[in-house]
Amino acid sequence: MEDEQSFSDICGGRLSLQRRYYSPTCREFCISCPRLSLRSLTAVTCTVWLAAYGLFTLFENSMILSAAIFITLLGLLGYLHFVKIDQESLLIIDSLGIQMTSSYASGKESTTFFEMGQVKDVVINEAIYMQKVIYYLCILLKDPVEPHRISQVVPVFQSAKPRLDCLIEVYRSCQEVLAHQKATPASA
Amino acid sequence: MAYRRRRGHGQTPSAVLCVRPGSLATRRTRAHNICMVSDFFYPNMGGVESHIYQLSQCLIERGHKVIIVTHAYGNRKGIRYLTNGLKVYYLPLKVMYNQSTATTLFHSLPLLRYIFVRERVTVIHSHSSFSAMAHDALFHAKTMGLQTVFTDHSLFGFADVSSVLTNKLLTVSLCDTNHIICVSYTSKENTVLRAALNPEIVSVIPNAVDPTDFTPDPFRRHDSIITIVIVSRLVYRKGIDLLSGIIPELCQKYSDLNFLIGGEGPKRIILEEVRERYQLHDRVHLLGALEHKDVRNVLVQGHIFLNTSLTEAFCMAIVEAASCGLQVVMYDRVAGEAVLPMDKRLDRLISHCGPVTGYIFALLAVFNFLFLVFLRWMTPDSVIDVAIDATGPNGAWTHQYPHSKKEGENNEMSKTR
Repeated sequence: MEDEQSFSDICGGRLSLQRRYYSPTCREFCISCPRLSLRSLTAVTCTVWLAAYGLFTLFENSMILSAAIFITLLGLLGYLHFVKIDQESLLIIDSLGIQMTSSYASGKESTTFFEMGQVKDVVINEAIYMQKVIYYLCILLKDPVEPHRISQVVPVFQSAKPRLDCLIEVYRSCQEVLAHQKATPASA
Repeated sequence: MAYRRRRGHGQTPSAVLCVRPGSLATRRTRAHNICMVSDFFYPNMGGVESHIYQLSQCLIERGHKVIIVTHAYGNRKGIRYLTNGLKVYYLPLKVMYNQSTATTLFHSLPLLRYIFVRERVTVIHSHSSFSAMAHDALFHAKTMGLQTVFTDHSLFGFADVSSVLTNKLLTVSLCDTNHIICVSYTSKENTVLRAALNPEIVSVIPNAVDPTDFTPDPFRRHDSIITIVIVSRLVYRKGIDLLSGIIPELCQKYSDLNFLIGGEGPKRIILEEVRERYQLHDRVHLLGALEHKDVRNVLVQGHIFLNTSLTEAFCMAIVEAASCGLQVVMYDRVAGEAVLPMDKRLDRLISHCGPVTGYIFALLAVFNFLFLVFLRWMTPDSVIDVAIDATGPNGAWTHQYPHSKKEGENNEMSKTR
């Protein structure tokens, strides 16, 4: 089963949430941001080049122009490869664990996996972020020595930053899976 | 805290500013969303801090929603929950002096506005004139068109440079505050004079203590000598310099005099120096930081309670020491004056605060308004999530909804605490 819903992020941008239910105990949530728009790319390039041209008329050194070209190219590559995340997904399988994947605009993917034994819970928390107070979904990891304590809080959907209504959808689904996992302790 | 622990058991203490559950029958139909703003809150200790805490708890009991905004204390930052779902925002603002944040009048607007919008705040209640954040919040609240209340906890002089400046700031920020609460009649007189206010918008609500917590115990003290007890934070404002001046003189004059000093602070070193210089180790005892529950045990050991505070408007410690005449005060006053439109606000600033200051702050108010318009354009109110209500009549913590949305949030909250 698969469905798609559209939500907004904390700045008012559009996001789409895809839910894939492979089985009652295996679910995947995908949040995709809009791709890099041509307009913002043109705007940034134009500003850099205009600034470079201004400096060029002042100092009359053509090195500045070539430097500007290199800076825009390298900047764009770096941005696409290290900063811009197109899609973030959360895969939860009750007998195995939770996997978080983020795919960058360049195609690079980074994946983190937490075994179910490590996971204590999935919760929604509040935090002060920049000049905002936001809600975020996070995975609580158990301390390996003392199972009742939390050793780490791992935020999910860090770059997309969806709003609360979207988080609640994901949270409820995750809780259903976790409840199922707790009800069948044979796997533990 | 003795008070706090009792509350944990769901019992209503008969203490400070309290409203008993019985009086909930007269609960008003309209509940407010109140935001307490002050630089001073727990883990910092003092009268203002406990006042804000107790007041918030009582307002929650009356069915209002209360949040507290203060600045981050070391590692304690972000959002925390206290008893009964009282939400505290510890904002990452720079501390300048004496736990008071630096003020530029503008830099705190984005965060404060975000909080006011997401919590749907209707009344801003600022505390203490020493707190820059409280003044900032009043200023921003007026720009956003919210109702404001201010509680003044201290007395101030008129003569030296620092009080002249603080008084001017107070004039400006109180001139468009809807209502002001003072903790004693002396304090009211002082505040009205300092801020050139209309006395009619100033109310007096004195503090009180729980007499069962502060009962006398004559057997604990030794009647052969006279013991003077001082319990206060050892800081400049509490007059510790004065104290260090009189200790040697008194000790010289009366041979049967002992001092018992409880509290901690930067001025402790002065007292230690005095003790060292005049060899008073057996007569001046420094106890260091005291837990609130130990205060009574220290107080009963003495004959005389000494308070040297320079700025106290209503000294809780004196009441605790005297520990009689319990007053139960009902806090029931929320300002009713209409919010002034922008142009009237400017007129008032200019006419009320003197030509130079008036114009400067009118200009600042205009800038603040433009900044607010810019912020509203950057992040419209509709984009800001409404915070889940932890207290009040529809609080996520007070009700259990078996299989509904609220229950899930309920769990989240308690786990993330």
